Amino acid sequence: MAAPASDTLLQQFTGRKTRGVLRFVILGLIAGAAVSSRLFSVIRFESIIHEFDPWFNFRATKYLVQNGFYSFWDWFDDRTWHPLGRVTGGTLYPGLMVTSGVIYHALRALTLPVDIRNICVLLAPGFSGLTAFATYLLTSEMVASPSAGLLAAAFMGITPGYISRSVAGSYDNEAIAIFLLVFTFFLWIKAVKNGSMFWGALTALFYGYMVSAWGGYVFITNLLPLHAFVLICMGRYSPRLYVSYTSWYALGTLASMQIPFVGFLPIRSSEHMSSLGVFGLIQIVGFVEYVRVQLPNKQFQTLLRALVFVIFVVAFGGLVVLTVSGTIAPWSGRFYSLWDTAYAKIHIPIIASVSEHQPTAWPAFFFDLSMMIWLFPAGVYMCFRSLTDEQVFIVIYSVLASYFAGVMVRLMLTLTPIVCVASAMAFSQILDTYLDAKIPEQGAKENGSSDPAKVAAAVLPDGLRSTRNPLVGIYSYASRLTVIGASTVYLMLFVLHCTWVTSNAYSSPSVVLASRLPDGSQHIIDDYREAYYWLRQNTPDNAKVMSWWDYGYQIGGMADRPTLVDNNTWNNTHIATVGKAMSSREEVSYPIMRQHEVDYVLVVFGGLLGYSGDDINKFLWMVRIAEGIWPEEVKERNFFTQRGEYRVDEEATPTMKNSLMYKMSYYNYNSLFPAGQATDRVRGVRLPAEGPQLSTIEEAFTSENWIIRIYKVKEPDNFGRDHQSATAFDKGHKKKRASKRKGPRVLRVE
Amino acid sequence: MRGLFSVLLLALVSAVSAVSSTGGRLLVVLEEHSEREKYGVFFGDLEARGFHLTIESPKSESLSLFKHGERAYDHTILLPGKSKGLGPALTANTLLDFMKKEGNILIALSSDHAIPTSIHSTLLELDIHIPSDKGALVVDHFNHDSNKAAEKHDVLLLPFPQALKPNVKNYFAGEGLIAVPQAVGQTLGNESPLLAPILRAPNTAYSYNPKDEADIVEDPFAVGSQLNLVSAMQAHNSARLTVVGSAEMLQNAWFAEKATLAGKAVKTANRDFAARLTEWTFKETGVVKVGKLIHYQDEGVSKKMNTSLAIPEHNPTIYRIKSDVNFQIEISEYSQDRLAPFLPAPGDHVQLEFSMLSPFHRLNLSPISQTANSTIFGVSFKTPDQHGIFNFRVNYRRPFLTSIEEKRQVTVRHFAHDEWPRSWQISGAWVWIGGIWVTVAGFVAFVAVWLYSAPTEKSVKKTQ
Amino acid sequence: MRWLQLLTVSVLPLVALAAKKPSGDRFSDFRSKSLSSGNLKLDDNVYTQLTKAPRDYSVVVLLTALETRFGCTLCREFQPEWDLLSKSWQKGDKKAESRLLFGTLDFVDGKSTFQSLMLQTAPVILFFHPTVGPDAKVDAQPVRFDFTAGPQSAEQIHAWVARQLPASSPKPSVVRPINYVKIISVTTAVLGLITFVTVASPYIVPVLQNRNLWAAFSLIGVLLFTSGHMFNHIRKVPYVSGDGKGGISYFAGGFSNQFGLESQIVAAIYGVLSFATISLALKVPRIADARAQQIAVFIWSGVLLCMYSFLLSVFRIKNGGYQFWLPPF
Repeated sequence: MAAPASDTLLQQFTGRKTRGVLRFVILGLIAGAAVSSRLFSVIRFESIIHEFDPWFNFRATKYLVQNGFYSFWDWFDDRTWHPLGRVTGGTLYPGLMVTSGVIYHALRALTLPVDIRNICVLLAPGFSGLTAFATYLLTSEMVASPSAGLLAAAFMGITPGYISRSVAGSYDNEAIAIFLLVFTFFLWIKAVKNGSMFWGALTALFYGYMVSAWGGYVFITNLLPLHAFVLICMGRYSPRLYVSYTSWYALGTLASMQIPFVGFLPIRSSEHMSSLGVFGLIQIVGFVEYVRVQLPNKQFQTLLRALVFVIFVVAFGGLVVLTVSGTIAPWSGRFYSLWDTAYAKIHIPIIASVSEHQPTAWPAFFFDLSMMIWLFPAGVYMCFRSLTDEQVFIVIYSVLASYFAGVMVRLMLTLTPIVCVASAMAFSQILDTYLDAKIPEQGAKENGSSDPAKVAAAVLPDGLRSTRNPLVGIYSYASRLTVIGASTVYLMLFVLHCTWVTSNAYSSPSVVLASRLPDGSQHIIDDYREAYYWLRQNTPDNAKVMSWWDYGYQIGGMADRPTLVDNNTWNNTHIATVGKAMSSREEVSYPIMRQHEVDYVLVVFGGLLGYSGDDINKFLWMVRIAEGIWPEEVKERNFFTQRGEYRVDEEATPTMKNSLMYKMSYYNYNSLFPAGQATDRVRGVRLPAEGPQLSTIEEAFTSENWIIRIYKVKEPDNFGRDHQSATAFDKGHKKKRASKRKGPRVLRVE
Repeated sequence: MRGLFSVLLLALVSAVSAVSSTGGRLLVVLEEHSEREKYGVFFGDLEARGFHLTIESPKSESLSLFKHGERAYDHTILLPGKSKGLGPALTANTLLDFMKKEGNILIALSSDHAIPTSIHSTLLELDIHIPSDKGALVVDHFNHDSNKAAEKHDVLLLPFPQALKPNVKNYFAGEGLIAVPQAVGQTLGNESPLLAPILRAPNTAYSYNPKDEADIVEDPFAVGSQLNLVSAMQAHNSARLTVVGSAEMLQNAWFAEKATLAGKAVKTANRDFAARLTEWTFKETGVVKVGKLIHYQDEGVSKKMNTSLAIPEHNPTIYRIKSDVNFQIEISEYSQDRLAPFLPAPGDHVQLEFSMLSPFHRLNLSPISQTANSTIFGVSFKTPDQHGIFNFRVNYRRPFLTSIEEKRQVTVRHFAHDEWPRSWQISGAWVWIGGIWVTVAGFVAFVAVWLYSAPTEKSVKKTQ
Repeated sequence: MRWLQLLTVSVLPLVALAAKKPSGDRFSDFRSKSLSSGNLKLDDNVYTQLTKAPRDYSVVVLLTALETRFGCTLCREFQPEWDLLSKSWQKGDKKAESRLLFGTLDFVDGKSTFQSLMLQTAPVILFFHPTVGPDAKVDAQPVRFDFTAGPQSAEQIHAWVARQLPASSPKPSVVRPINYVKIISVTTAVLGLITFVTVASPYIVPVLQNRNLWAAFSLIGVLLFTSGHMFNHIRKVPYVSGDGKGGISYFAGGFSNQFGLESQIVAAIYGVLSFATISLALKVPRIADARAQQIAVFIWSGVLLCMYSFLLSVFRIKNGGYQFWLPPF
């Protein structure tokens, strides 16, 4: 039964079209709410791309729209990672760009010429509406009650856990990936239920789309096999499972291998091995089942069981051997750090340095999910009542996703959908129960309700087995009123919470900072764009800009200048080179900068404004990453004082004071203050009386609030002197004439 | 680029005004006019060569090297004077700024005049050292003029200098002997590659101060060929500064003088040595200029890739790895009054670097053709198997030659998805291709058989 | 190869003999002393003996405090690694081409040395470059390795030592001895487990197939993870800490910060809340008796309300700007 979506909408009830219409209306409203609650940033600021990665996606999209698909596919980007360049077309997930490119051309075909930027800005809200719809479909597959689906859709529409990555302007892979995730799961459940190859193929199709859109596809790649595996272990193997899984795996793997960035990973890397293994296992199981049906011989069946077990073990051992021998790539660092949580901190400082890879404290959970965080377990529990195949899926998903979300903040995103589904199930259960109009007639009146012991026994819950005795219903209106009233209050509170969180926490485009003046009026701090546009307008087109990698994408997108490193951190050594240049003395870093043809150096300095996310606070990561490559030349220890403090004031270590980063941050900073009064408002310390001196670079630009400072790298001195003596001479310190040479005289050899 | 343009422009200007490649406005700083005719012949020669001389006293207020922030003169000659200071117009910083703006300076010292502090510190800044005590001069008891300086031995008679190294051009060759009276010797620092000696003292010479009455000299300032009588400095922007140890050798008195070296009478050839010297200092010789510079993809091998364009596009910004590239550069040399084809000295090569961070290729450019006033050097090579942003770089720095620093940035991209050989062109892939088609055929056959052997009605009944 | 081993084996006793009577060469003396254990057990004067210039060999000394009263856990857990490193190094170049000696100086034996070096912390590793000979360094100051990055493995220290040595000298890599006992025990354990499973399967299988068991497990897992247990695990947060005034503060200040006990409290709150929900949704409608049902509804709704409002109040502690609340808290 190949049912399109509308059919699934209507299939639960018979003949009553009005309900169907109502449902459509409700879903439409939910989508509207989802979209509109993501527009805070556009209304408050403007239609602008947010943060860091979106700027690269935006740039790539523009490239795609201008140069067409094939040149995008073969794109060699010579304006990043100078001078290495980046094979961008082969190292990104093109799904997002292609999607918005298609939308762009479609709109043009409809003679609606829309600026590509607006499409990119509004893509995420648009897809959030679709996500709500997909959640509705998924939930209605799970339970009979249709209201659960609508609730889940509403939850999904406005929960901050999802809004955090999909406000207008955060043009990131997750924008479409979450929709694809949920929809792929819906299709998978559909396939498992019906055992139809059609749904399996659809699953594979959307899985392919997901692979092209987000690295998080690995989550699906492992969750579906796990689901299948658990079902097999529960003895729930069925031809339906066989058909759906095999069709998904075969087609989906082929589809995923079409993405250049993925390529042969599905058969090489151990992230994908589980799906391959389950594929093999399900073949064997299928064969065994077939044979068992043919000849009902008891011993033979046990033999077959043993055979399955043995083959499984052998295959697993083979996998391990292959991994050890290196034929199969071991787990990639980011993925592995999910299991061995100490791994990244030791081996991959770059990953550890990213803030969204930190573990999650409980307030973050409540912040993002609010009421659902405690509805969630209830929903999971309810799945255990009638443990159907799809509800098994919910259980697995819940446990895994909550583990991941606990380890990494950003993976809250994968947890959110299932939380919405589960809590919607729980909540709708309550609503259905207490909104049920019919009052059960007092059947067992005679068994004395007066007996308090019985009452107590009845009231007290008897453990998890709370579904033994038959369903009766709710007697009194009072209890109905209580529960319904409370639920309504909770729901309203939930809506308030979501709106508040969205508008306060998740709606600022970190490119433009907003601050409150003493009189309460809003003050926009726009230093980033000021500085980037200065670069764009005052420097030659191929002036190389060196900065820490956080700002690479923004410089590429807004200033349109080549950068040395950017947020796609594919080359650790190159990043470490920049880190070394930043953390070394001028005499050391000048040759590095000359070798890399650096023209301008950009640093972010929050000392004047109290903007804590500046480079001095990130400095230790630069030092660590550099130390990873040059342990002899850069030592983290030297940046700490004797008492092991990280200071920038008088007591700062000489290494710190002589480092290029320190000099660039505090150069001329004293001039803003009366003598000796210079203070750093982030670190909250008094700075040394005389500021640092620069000789190999010169200040080129400093933004209004000093957040961004740009320096120009000097040419070599015209007369072959080193810069220190040259600047000294220009300041008027003449060299002392070598009146009497000391030591042995050096003879000039020609 | 701008530097190149300005050089061209100045060359244009010079074509009309003077013979020098950078213009003919020449400032001579001379303290009292009485000394002017001492240098009459010297000035005469310069004017005859098309220079427009302005003779100023360091005292005068009108004297200034710059006007509206630009150079007011192209070249400057500083002749020694009585006074110790050169005044505000000629401080060390101004002199260096003058050179930063590609002005050339010829400094003439003299042992019987005080050396101004500004000149002192300028030379010191350029790592040229001169004896700090006034009156120190170079004597040689073997190669002196025995009728002018019979007992003082302070007039040296030297042959014209040889080439600095075997593979360096010599712009100071000539016939005869040079008389160097009362010279202030200089020593050059060891680090700077920008310094070069023009005229060295002979091995038997040494520097001492006649004023100290000690009859033996201990710890002289410098001895032998470490001691330079004329030395040169060429900055990165090819601005030139020449230090002449003795101003007297530029005076008429010594231009064509009879002298006796070791008993036999000779004639000093100071006049044309001075000519050589000024020619070099004022950019009449030893100036190389880059003309056209082209690089293009050599279609000869990779024709089949893109057959569309018949003639290769010049100076493309992007190449592909492992593709053949041609590079050509046109270099000409300015000699006295015109551009002539440039040829490096025997044993010397102009080199091309194809570099990203470090050179992937360093190739000798070979002269492939000559035009009326330039040589075209060229080389062809294959781009390395490494994508990235590369530079065609010609960096040619030799003593006494203006430096060539040419850089062209190009991108070297990876293979596009449709530039790989197709699967059937790889013999190793035939097995797999065969496998695919066999599978397809097998499946089709299976389906056919399956459909052919459809179950009968009865069995269908049973299944339902 | 064989005969080489034989040779060395035959040489060893000789070396041991040589160890008895000290020959002129300090290096060979110390080496022969250290042959037994891999690294020398030093005290003050041996230390000075070993490290005094002129020295034509390099020395690595671990300054540590092993005794429990110093409470230096780092020292104790690093010691086996250190022994392993020195031993395998010694095995690695039998002919002592690297001319490197390992020494261990415990605080109890070397108080004056610790004082002279003004060491506040242990363990510390010092590397003394040779002062004479081909690869001598000009400055006699030893290179110092502080354990700032926490406990180190033998390989890490090996890499550090190898960096100090000249490129020419041999750098035998660390060989970890195969732990046969562990292997055997593991295999026996596995086999025993398998037999146990096969034998006891009729009793285990129903347990494994018990739905409530699995439900309990998964619920506990979910509650743990959503209440930030992994954060405690990774960040090694304190279980609970005292506020300034002698009392105990259960809730850490700051939005992205928490205590162990705190997360457990939160988990408990979640548990109660969801349990109330379950009861309201599943249990209550199955109560046959009207009054009982009425009471149950009120009780559970009350519990729900109180707990939720308490949760909100706790969250207001964590996040100052948060403005929503419920009665009674």
